[in-house]
Formats: sequence, structure tokens, C-alpha cells
Amino acid sequence: MDPVSPMGGAVKPPPRLPRRRRAGRAEARAGLLFALPWMVGLAVFTIIPLVLTFYISQTKFQITGAPRYIGLQNYAAIWGDAAVWRSAGNTMMFAVISVPIKLALALVLALMLNRVTALSGFYRTVFYLPFLMPAVAGSLVFILLLNPSAGPVNLMLQGMGLNPPDWLRDPAAALWTLILLSLWPLGVETLVFLGGLQNIPKDVSEAADLDSPRPWHKLVWVTIPLLTPMILFNLIIGIIYSFQVFTQALVIGGTTGRPAEATLMYMVVLYRTAFRYFNMGQAAAMAVVLFVVVLVMTLLIFRTARSWVYYEGDSR
Amino acid sequence: MSDKTYAAPRTLSRRSFLQSTAAAGAALALPGAALAQAEGQLLIWLPGGSDLFCKIHTSLLDGFSAATNLGPATTVCGLGQDTEFTQALIGSITAGSPPDISMLWDSPVSLGAQGAFMPLDDMMKGSKIPLDTWPAGLLSSCQFKGVTYGLPVTAGVYAMWYNEEMFEAKGIPSDRASFPKTWVEMRKLSKEFTVWDGDDLKSAGFMPNRIPETMAIWSALNGGVLFDEVNLKYMLNSEQNIEMMSFFLEWLDEEYKGDINLIDRSGNFREGYPDGATGVGPAFREGRQAGLMSGSWLMGDIYADPVPTFTRWNQAPNPIGPSGTAHVSGTWPNWFVIPVGSKNPQAAFDYLSYLAVEGSVSWYQQIPDVPTNSQVAVKPPESLIASRGEAFAQDLTTFLAEQAAIVTPMWNSPVQSFGNDQMARAMEKIFTHAQPVAEALAEAQAAAQAELDRVLAG
Repeated sequence: MDPVSPMGGAVKPPPRLPRRRRAGRAEARAGLLFALPWMVGLAVFTIIPLVLTFYISQTKFQITGAPRYIGLQNYAAIWGDAAVWRSAGNTMMFAVISVPIKLALALVLALMLNRVTALSGFYRTVFYLPFLMPAVAGSLVFILLLNPSAGPVNLMLQGMGLNPPDWLRDPAAALWTLILLSLWPLGVETLVFLGGLQNIPKDVSEAADLDSPRPWHKLVWVTIPLLTPMILFNLIIGIIYSFQVFTQALVIGGTTGRPAEATLMYMVVLYRTAFRYFNMGQAAAMAVVLFVVVLVMTLLIFRTARSWVYYEGDSR
Repeated sequence: MSDKTYAAPRTLSRRSFLQSTAAAGAALALPGAALAQAEGQLLIWLPGGSDLFCKIHTSLLDGFSAATNLGPATTVCGLGQDTEFTQALIGSITAGSPPDISMLWDSPVSLGAQGAFMPLDDMMKGSKIPLDTWPAGLLSSCQFKGVTYGLPVTAGVYAMWYNEEMFEAKGIPSDRASFPKTWVEMRKLSKEFTVWDGDDLKSAGFMPNRIPETMAIWSALNGGVLFDEVNLKYMLNSEQNIEMMSFFLEWLDEEYKGDINLIDRSGNFREGYPDGATGVGPAFREGRQAGLMSGSWLMGDIYADPVPTFTRWNQAPNPIGPSGTAHVSGTWPNWFVIPVGSKNPQAAFDYLSYLAVEGSVSWYQQIPDVPTNSQVAVKPPESLIASRGEAFAQDLTTFLAEQAAIVTPMWNSPVQSFGNDQMARAMEKIFTHAQPVAEALAEAQAAAQAELDRVLAG
């Protein structure tokens, strides 16, 4: 029934704003069009390759010619491949050792930079610079520095009466050298921590100073808890990076992980399987396994993060 | 009131944004279309190499294209080496836009067997370069199951290089005929030159081989093979190969303190070139190493930086191992292939015919990669004549031609890189005493054979 006006006449229904609706639809279309390049990019460069990788991992595909479906044979081949296990062990060792050391060093560096008042911009730039150097160039510089007979590092250690290691040729030392190399570009982690430190509210910091004169009390009970979101971020990025370590390992150890497979990393085996042995199926299976492992580790960290990461404003 | 005037902010309408996006896309696409290879114009890809190397090939292809009215040709140089170059080539083949011809520094067998390169046998029949004009051992590096996938147009030929002046300083005859004929003789002679100062190797004679790519030659010198191409079987842990590696290990233990790392810490005793990563100069050119096995390409570079401390060097046949019966040589060829999808396959083959016969003469004159086709009559390189005189240059050219005729089949496995890597891994374990010889070779054998079987399974 139509509404009736006090005057007894029928009331017109409110206007349906067709113009606004049309404008809304046009806005939506425009939004879609503007987002389209990104969506196409996501589909073409991320989603389709991901799906294709999963498909190729179940085929015998030697790059040229058509892939042939072979089920899970590539996964079985990975399981039985000694080089894959060796490289997975090296990579795990690399991650377990390098990530915590890197986080600790970056935190120390950030704490020091946070105290610097003069030339702070200069120091931040200096510590970020190594990150800008191409990994290949950086690795070659380290190869020269660590040359066992003529490198300045060993000459210096010899001058101090020490017996320096053969950094890159001794299988017992080579992985540690690679870890050392990974610690060099600390710029990103340091800047993230520095950002976190500078966001700590002054009143909280001053209150902590009043509560205890000991700086480490403030560090342990105030600063680090307030930095836990940054620690979480750096931890996840660090783990993802360390599982994908490639360039330095390839430059130092080649595709065979010299010496004695000490520097053979998972990504190097994946790369050589694809582009040296042309076994794209198995390489794709390795990529899928890596994807799943990193995903599971990231999810696990996120799950545990609820108990140790403190976000300001949380009730916990 | 301020007399400043404010211009309305310029806005970009959706229409103009989309128009400019389309225009930018077209602008990007047009040069790509313009660069696309036209039919009839040859396009050749070369891996790494010096500027001179690029110049020689550019000039040869341009000359051929002009003479045959093919129109302007394109030579793309320095596309990288090893896996880097292979990636680019495979990418272009799978994308359907390969070059007409590509030079390879790795055996064409692996990719040829998988259908990446055109079989050349039909084109070779009745051409200027039929099958029987190529040394069988060399051509086998391009063949799989009787199909030829490439041509070893020129090759570096491996022989023993030695420093005549070091020999003479010790009162040892330095002529080629007096050079050791067997491994045992070579090992005995080596001790004459080897001097240690504590853990520092001051100078050395000869070294057990540590380069996996040349291991096929050493195996053949001991009567063995690494890969049996007829029966498609790897033979890495055959009796001859176990004997070979045991001989090398004993040699290392006896003369070089059993520590390969001590040798490496003392200098670059592996090859005649500076170390790629550290730049450490070659002990051979520094006059600290009496001799080593090397490819003939070193002739073109030996007087370059680092300049050797001596002038007179020579080459001799590779000595024979305890179970071997004859001298053999080996090569690292410059292979040429016609990728599947080439727009001008016949013109590409015609160019390869020209390059293999006429072109390789000019190539050898400037960079001494030895022409391999039997129809080529090579003259000694000018640079060698200038540095060592006509007689020496002629003698060496004849010697290299003889060596090219006795090359052992190598580079002939469809899983060549995988096999090489397994051998490298085994050698490293053996030379660092991490694993006994037989065990390390058996492990390498099992892995290489398994990979071969997988690839051959279709």
C-alpha cells in the first residue's frame, strides 16, 4: 500500500538515485580497470607459474618437448637423492645458525645507531650500503679477502701469530664462511629494528629509566618486548632468505658445492637440476617441497608468535 | 589580496590514463617487432670470448652473407658461459625464436637427444662437409644413436705442454721425442722439479689430473672409458679407472704430501690461465711448473698477461697409463648447432659448411683453435710464427693435426654435465682422502647410470 500524506494525497517514493548508482558502477568499473594490470600481473607471474610448477612437478619434462605425466615419481626421486638431502642439511644448518646471529647483530647495531645523535643519517646509509652491492660482486670480494695465501684476512691473522683456516677450501670451514658472508649485509634488519626503537614511546622509556638504573633491565623488560613485532618480521624474512640462499653459494662452491659439498645448498641443487641437467620435473618438485617447508615454518612461527609477540595496545 | 594565482591541479582522466597506457605498450612492442629476425637474415649466437673472438666471427658471417646475398646478418657475442648461456638458448628455443646458428662450449648431445637441435645428417649428405670428412672421435661428441646434432668446427686439442727452459736447466733433454712416454716415466721426472719449503710448494713437475672434463682422456690413456656410447653404459668404476685414480692418489701422497689444499695454497697449479675467482697467476707461466695437460687455445694467450717468465715451451703426446696401449688425445671443441625453430636452416647449414672449411683457416690464423674438418689445410698462426719462428710454428701445427686425428671419444653422453659433476665429486673425495677410490667411483657410477637410465627411459 502506498504511503498517504497528511493532506490525503499519495506520497511519492523517495528517489532511487539511479544517477548515483550509475556513478557507483562506473567507479567500480574504473577501479577494476586500474587494478587490472596488477591482477593480470599476479595471475601471470605468480598464480599461473605456481600452478604450472605443481603440474610440471608431476611430469617428466626435459625443457624441450612436451611434459609427460609420471605422477609422484619426481618426489620419490628427490627422496632418494643424496645430493638433495646433503643440500637440505646444509641449508637447515645455514638457517639455524645464520638467522639468530644475524638478528642479534642487527639488534646490537640498531641499539648503537639509536644512541648516535651526530651523523646518524650517515651511519644508517653506511650500514645499508652493503645491501645494495650485488651478491656476486660481494662474494668475489670475500673470495679475495679470504684467499688462504695472499688474502688480507689470513695475512692479518698470521701476523697475530694465529693459524688461519683455509676458509673456502676446507670442508669444515666452508659452510661457516658462507654463514659469515650472509652476516655482512645487515642493513635491512638494522633499519627495521631502528624504526622499532624510535617508535618506543618516550614516556615508557623514561618510566623504565626511573624504575631501574640498570640499562639491561630496560632492554630486557621494555625494549625487546616492544620490538617483538620487528623481531617476528625479521625472523620470517630471514628464514625465507636463508632457505633460498643461492648466489653466494654458487659463486663460492659452483654447482657441485665445493669443497666436498660443504657449500651445496638446496637452491643450488634445484638450479643445477633444472638448468644443468635439464630435469625440469624434478626441479619443479624440489620447488614445491621448498614452498611447502617454508610455508609450514612460517605458519608455525606465526602460531607461536601469539605467545611472544607484543603489540602495543594489546591487553596481554 | 594575494596576487598569486593558483592553477587548477591537472588531473588525469581514466580515459587519458588508459590511452597513455596503450600508447606506452605499443611503444614498447614496436622496437621488439622491429628487432625480430627477418627471414633470410642469419642470426648467430656466441657464448663468452674475447673481443677478438667476437670480431672474427662477426667478420666471417658478414663476409658470407654478403657473398651469398643473404642480406645483413647479426652476430650476438658474449651471451655468457656454461649454464647461463644454455638457459638463454633453451629459452629462445622454447619461445620459438632461436638464433639460426649457435656456438656451444658444452656438448650438443644432451640437448640434441632431447630434440632441441636439428639433425644435420640429411643436409650433410652431398654437401661440402659429409660425415666422412670429420674425425670419428670428434664427431661422436655431437652424435647420439647415430644422429648428428652439431659440428665440432674447430677444437682445442689437448696435449702435454712443457717448459723447455726448466728442462734444460736441469740438464734434461727438452725435445719432443725425449718427453716421457708413460705415466710412470712422467711421475719419475716430475720429482726432479718439485721443491717444498715447509708447506709451501715452490715449484712442481707435473700434477695428477684434477680437471673432470679431461678425465676421459686420462681414462683412455689407461685403456678405459668413462662412458660407453655403444652400450649406453657409464664405466666410471671400471678396473682401468680405479687403477687410474689410485695411481693419481699415490702420486699425490708421494710427491705432494697427500694434501691437495697445500698445493692450492701455494699457487695455481691446475691450469695455464689465472684462477677465475682469485686471479692467482698460473704456476706454469710463472716458471714454477714444468708441465701440464692443456688445450691448444693456450697458444693464443700464453704470451699475454701474465707474461711468462720464459720463452720456449713445447708440446708432446699425452703419456700412456699402466694399462694403456696407445697415445690418445682429446679435444674441447667449438660446437655449432642449428636450433629447432631456426628460420633459415639451409642457409645456416651452408654457413657452417663455409665456416668448417674456409672460415676456420682465418679463425685459426687469429685464434689457434684447430680446424677439424679433414679438408682444411691449415697454415701456422701468424702470432706463433712471430713469437717462435716459422719452423717451430709449422712443426707444432703438424703435431696438433696429428693429435686431432687420434682424439678419444668424449663429450658423448646424453647426461654429460651430470656425469662430469659425479666425476668431479668423486675426485674431490678421493683427493681429500674422504673416501676410498673404489667406493667414491662406485657411488659416482651408480648416480650417473641412474640419471642416464632415467633420461633414456623416454
